[in-house]
Amino acid sequence: MNDAVVPTHLAEPSLHTFYRDHRSWLESWLRRRLGNAWDAADLSQDTFLRVLASAQPIAQLQEPRAYLVTVGKRLLVNFHQRRSLEQAYLNALMQLPEACVPSPEQRWLLLETLQALDELLDGLPAVVRRAFLWSQLEGLAYREIAERLKVSERTVKRYMAQAYEHCLLVEL
Amino acid sequence: MSRTAPDLARAAAQWLALLESGSATERDHARLQQWRDSHPQHEQIWQKAQSLRQRFTDLPPALAMASLDRPQPGRRAVLKRALGVAALLPTAWLLSRQLPIDVWRADLHTATGERKRVPLLDGSSLQLNTASAVDVDTARRRVTLVEGEMALTVPGAGTLTVQTRYGQVIVSQAEVCVRQLSSGCLVSVLKGAVQVQDLRGQVATLQGGQQARLQASGMGAAVGFDALQLGWRDGVLTAQNQLLGDFLRELERYRPGVLRWDPSLEALRVTGSFQLADTDRILALLASTMPLQVQSRTQYWVTLTPRKSAA
Repeated sequence: MNDAVVPTHLAEPSLHTFYRDHRSWLESWLRRRLGNAWDAADLSQDTFLRVLASAQPIAQLQEPRAYLVTVGKRLLVNFHQRRSLEQAYLNALMQLPEACVPSPEQRWLLLETLQALDELLDGLPAVVRRAFLWSQLEGLAYREIAERLKVSERTVKRYMAQAYEHCLLVEL
Repeated sequence: MSRTAPDLARAAAQWLALLESGSATERDHARLQQWRDSHPQHEQIWQKAQSLRQRFTDLPPALAMASLDRPQPGRRAVLKRALGVAALLPTAWLLSRQLPIDVWRADLHTATGERKRVPLLDGSSLQLNTASAVDVDTARRRVTLVEGEMALTVPGAGTLTVQTRYGQVIVSQAEVCVRQLSSGCLVSVLKGAVQVQDLRGQVATLQGGQQARLQASGMGAAVGFDALQLGWRDGVLTAQNQLLGDFLRELERYRPGVLRWDPSLEALRVTGSFQLADTDRILALLASTMPLQVQSRTQYWVTLTPRKSAA
């Protein structure tokens, strides 16, 4: 659909061939899973960009399509993760009294911020994530979190350290 | 002492957790200070940790909590679902189908006479002309034109789709205007090229400088057009030897209330650039340069009549 958008750093002939040979195959693979062509086209672009940005030399790929599928699957999961965040966000927006609903521009910015944070927290165990959010967003003290979760304060402290460490590592 | 990134992150995380727990002693504070001073990398990661905390502070707690602490199906379940949606639906069905409400959408609209510019994803921007409405869906990278006229600029390689009642326009590295007409819509490409897909799934390319009408029966012939027609994006209405009737029909879109004119004025010719911000002034300018006069019963009821030469 958009042949014009070959990423510019596809200068090497081998990269170019790689893209040309597999793009439409990957796109139809993604389309079967997403049910529409536009998201599939976007995700296939993203997949190629990830593959190109990775350290893996393309010329040495034994099973290029299997590799693309591995990367593609990961992006599909992220895609669905984003969608579930948007859905939760929309539901929360609709619960707000009219007067408290942010302007469209603010809603955009906020959604973008939340998406970034959602990705940042991705991979943390659910209970750690929740403890961390209670602390950061609601300002709960460790003692209060411990009561809510029915664990010791010491455990909460460990959760918090784990969450901070995770986020710092992602950001580094 | 090893200072690999994971070590640094762990140390800073433990200091933070200790401080926040409320159980840190005077001595702990002194030790933390010592740790920060002992190596530039320590101070650096400490600052990073502070800015990490900062990222959560300005968020509205209820909204952020509901979004970030939503029930998580777990990665495995998500993956399963992601890979499970298999059926490829017929394109025409997909196109005619209303988008589900569970996808987040922002509804933007303008009143008569109002124009608006909104930044979208990745440097793209959306402009709404008078009396227009769109739904914006970031997740699907889609703008649905509900009524009126919009312009979309997509500078990057990412794709945005304009959904209309008569098909869709796929925009990447291009600038396009789409206007809803009483039957069909008018697609005008200002820069780059766009793909137009009609309701039957037929795809055609429309180049910069070309314009075509998209209808239920498909896309009409591509013709050249004058970019001056789309001057509204800069707040200007331009006419070049245009029939006054056509000009007034265009101007009417920007004026709340009633604008009427004597049929004998239809065939007069008008030339000029007019600022849309003040349509009363446009009418006054017309009256000062053409044989017509403006009669305002109220601000919202204006009639143009031939000027009586004796008056």
